[in-house]
Amino acid sequence: MAEIATSWRPRSAWAGIAQPGSFGAKGKTGVVATLLDGFGLATLIAEPGAATSLSRAVEGRLGIALPEMPRIVSGGAHDAIWAGPDQWLLRAALRDGFQPLLDELAAHAAVSDQSDARAAFRLQGPRTRDLLAKGVMLDLHPSAFGVGETAVTSVAYLGVQLWRLADGPDGPVFEIMVARSMAGSFWSWFTAAAAEFGCRVADQD
Amino acid sequence: MRITCPHCGARDAQEFTYLGAADPQRPDGMAATEAAMTEYVYLRDNPAGSHRELWYHGAGCHVWLVVTRDTHTHAIASVEAARARKAGAAA
Repeated sequence: MAEIATSWRPRSAWAGIAQPGSFGAKGKTGVVATLLDGFGLATLIAEPGAATSLSRAVEGRLGIALPEMPRIVSGGAHDAIWAGPDQWLLRAALRDGFQPLLDELAAHAAVSDQSDARAAFRLQGPRTRDLLAKGVMLDLHPSAFGVGETAVTSVAYLGVQLWRLADGPDGPVFEIMVARSMAGSFWSWFTAAAAEFGCRVADQD
Repeated sequence: MRITCPHCGARDAQEFTYLGAADPQRPDGMAATEAAMTEYVYLRDNPAGSHRELWYHGAGCHVWLVVTRDTHTHAIASVEAARARKAGAAA
């Protein structure tokens, strides 16, 4: 069938909401928010008793086993992120080739492509924990929330999932994901909360 | 008040929604007497002390929990996934 030309173009979840630049307190940058875009994301939900076969299928294909605890497991261009009992998020760095992978996994689980349904950003900088403490009702002290841990929780009454990556030069690194339809509300909280620390917003490399 | 979710760990009660008593079992609708249905639908114990109740972790793992809570002190004695209880009942 002939391709139908349209003016429709992919649009970042942050388009019209967040843009690169700086806001808040002048001087030293307290937090850096990197807007993530172009990733593939899907929810995997295993039927009772089917989690093992799903995990084997993911491991066979991507070399990473699905975490049984609230953790993120990364391998190459993919991350498996715990999202509830027998539920995971599967993230691909790029969307190319993601759909065939999902088709394969659909034999083992309920698979739902959420690539366009979430807005995500990476948060780092020396004041990251001070900022998160203003909205996250969890103990994010390194002794309580280690590298690779994830949590499904709420911030400012908005559902979020966050996880901690390996530390960077400025200390802890977190990624935060919200429903795309809530990105504007979440960003409103974020800009108000981050202003006192001085925030730089960057696009993904 | 904080509830220690078996999947997510200690969380603020704001993340959960309360449903009510965990133990009433629905009688067989076709065979049940009117009195039994009235009891099931409307009548609840109101204990001053230990109470088993259903909570939904809607802002977290989306799992129904059975929480044993002291209604005097809010001290929580145990939290378990409701589906574990269901699986136990079926066995």
